[in-house]
Amino acid sequence: MSEAAAHSLEHHEPETSTGIPNKKVLMWAFLGSDCMFFGTLISTHLIYRKISATVGSNYLDIRNVFDIELTSFSTFILLASSLFMALAVSAIHKGNLTSTRWMLLGTIVFGAIFLACQVYEFTHFVHMPGNELTLSSYRGEPHVFGSTFYVLTGTHGTHVAIGVFWLLGWLVYSFTGKMSVADALDVECCGLYWHFVDIVWIIIFPVVYLMEYAF
Amino acid sequence: MSGHSEDPIAEESKRFFTFFNLSMFLVAITGIEIVIIYVQTFDGSYIIGILFTTSVLKFIGVIWWFMHLKWDKILNTILFLMGLVIAVFTFFAVIYMGDTHPVIDQFEVTALTDEWKSDKQYAKGDFVKIGDSYFQASQEHTSSEKFGQNKKLWTKVKGIPHQFSWKITQADTVEIHSEKPENPFFLQFFPEDEELVEGTQISLLAQSATTDDFRIKVRSEAFWTEN
Repeated sequence: MSEAAAHSLEHHEPETSTGIPNKKVLMWAFLGSDCMFFGTLISTHLIYRKISATVGSNYLDIRNVFDIELTSFSTFILLASSLFMALAVSAIHKGNLTSTRWMLLGTIVFGAIFLACQVYEFTHFVHMPGNELTLSSYRGEPHVFGSTFYVLTGTHGTHVAIGVFWLLGWLVYSFTGKMSVADALDVECCGLYWHFVDIVWIIIFPVVYLMEYAF
Repeated sequence: MSGHSEDPIAEESKRFFTFFNLSMFLVAITGIEIVIIYVQTFDGSYIIGILFTTSVLKFIGVIWWFMHLKWDKILNTILFLMGLVIAVFTFFAVIYMGDTHPVIDQFEVTALTDEWKSDKQYAKGDFVKIGDSYFQASQEHTSSEKFGQNKKLWTKVKGIPHQFSWKITQADTVEIHSEKPENPFFLQFFPEDEELVEGTQISLLAQSATTDDFRIKVRSEAFWTEN
């Protein structure tokens, strides 16, 4: 890593009164607001899980529907994608374009695998013989579980999809020859978003999935 | 918020190991979570406690190292924490509002003033009134023509027997107390079946009383209802 890279690391954004680049402040403010968004979705799911615990006269045992092995696998995949993302940010800061590309590609692939698992999971749940979980019913009887579950995990999945497209944009951009260490801040903002998606799943996985197996 | 060192390239290279170690830590913790669910060794409340702790640890790990808060200025941490704190409060507020409120469907207090009668079947524990006194049957029997002939089967009680009856939807704590100090009474219990709490109890009171002389307070989680 050359002097050029070291030099480019010294590249500074325009000075701001906070001493932090405005883009970064904006991203953190956005992530803070997104916390509130997911906070309401998670609490709504938990409340309806509690007050609508039965289907007809039977307890709603959603373990008949969940495939915990698949969800555990996709959780590990998403955690691993966060490592790739952190390394991509580190690489662009060092001006190492090749490494940045590989790490971005790794993040995209792992993000896409996570999305594929979620699409498979949703399709499987909706069409599971005898245990169909749709947006408004379970086993053909009206129930709210599907609504809160699909809206919560679907919103998270949408965030992941947006992240994948954002990263894909950076990957394509890296081949135009215009990408440099001057873009490090923008890639870092993208990384913040990706890690946020990861921490939301860190909460959703135990709260929505694992807790069903606790009792 | 340690800031960057003088050699940013070396600093970034050091972070590789931090990121890798953190990633292994996250995978290990998630593995522990799944194993705990599979082995089912712990009670549900312990499992929730463990899942909560491991989730917080993973959450902190990601925001502190992966999201660079450790090396960034504190304003970023404050900005994020503002949203997070509001989210946590929103979470508890929504959970609180979603709790089921208890409903007192029925509450009655009636004095047992049945006079003793001859040739009547009495069960053990039945109360009868004779003059100004109250008696309780010590065993099941059919009464004779005169009370005196069965006197050994009855025990005189101190006070006036009253029957308390209640029907409550959703309660984990029930309290009944007298509002008249000269007629003291307090009953508290924690029903096992919280969905529908229905029952009666006979208690001896110092004076004759009606439902209006008592208050019933019922709690379900955070909510109290009384009448």
